[in-house]
Amino acid sequence: MKKFRVYVTYKPSVFDPQGDTITDAAKDLGYQTIQAIHVGKFFDIEVDDSEGTAAQTVEELAEKLLVNFNLEVYRYEQLGED
Amino acid sequence: MKVAIIVFPGSNCDSDLHYVLENLCHVSAEYVPSTATSLDGFDAVMLPGGFSYGDYLRCGAIAALTPIMGAVRQFADSGKPVIGICNGFQILTEAHLLPGVLKKNDNLKFICRPVALQVENNATPFTTKYVKDEKIHLPIAHSDGNFYADPATIDELEQNHQIVFRYVDQNPNGSVNDIAGICNRRGNVVGMMPHPERASEKIVGNDDGFKVFQSLLTLKH
Repeated sequence: MKKFRVYVTYKPSVFDPQGDTITDAAKDLGYQTIQAIHVGKFFDIEVDDSEGTAAQTVEELAEKLLVNFNLEVYRYEQLGED
Repeated sequence: MKVAIIVFPGSNCDSDLHYVLENLCHVSAEYVPSTATSLDGFDAVMLPGGFSYGDYLRCGAIAALTPIMGAVRQFADSGKPVIGICNGFQILTEAHLLPGVLKKNDNLKFICRPVALQVENNATPFTTKYVKDEKIHLPIAHSDGNFYADPATIDELEQNHQIVFRYVDQNPNGSVNDIAGICNRRGNVVGMMPHPERASEKIVGNDDGFKVFQSLLTLKH
């Protein structure tokens, strides 16, 4: 079994109102060096890898379900293996 | 005329649609669960508003994968009329039956109030009773109604007259080019964020939405 983490974030060209609001709040707290905060989400996925296809399955799942390519991009990493 | 109202777990405008169709339009309307696989015998399909699957993952994303959506795709491909209202619109975009996506409103708030709209395309099966450029008012009720598509897609939508409704006076959610509703290239699949079923008789204070349903009735079946 392999563990993966898939990160889904807005494309840089897409306005991220949550990120902007959080950036403003950080500045209000006095963190004037904060220039931008972007909000995304991640999915931790455990996959049976007995056939060696786990990474490919994660990519397919990301592209079919986890990501909307109108708005978002993704990347993933392997977290561990049991 | 027999209309299918698709019911997903979390749909909540299905009975409003049923009421308008049966009681005000006097046509046969039937609830079809998202687990069904056939739309045989229906002349039109409506995807209601609500919060299908709790809006988990992205609004409409899970509903777009339900068994009935295969039948909706076939129905749409055959040229028959399909409309998605609010969450129904979100589902149609997630199912790629309409381009683009509905983002979170720019102000990050759930907005529930009447808005002014202009009918930009009165050639769809759901807008023939309107006059082109007619100004109407309909209620909106959404957190994720901010239509977005890349500039090339927006150009295509504009050039092919696929913008059906546009916000006028004020854009409530930040949508690109003030878009409130669009259709596919063929014109038979329409998605809109405002709720015509909530404004279809005078007793509720506004019947500007009734023509959406009356337009459908003019189709020959």
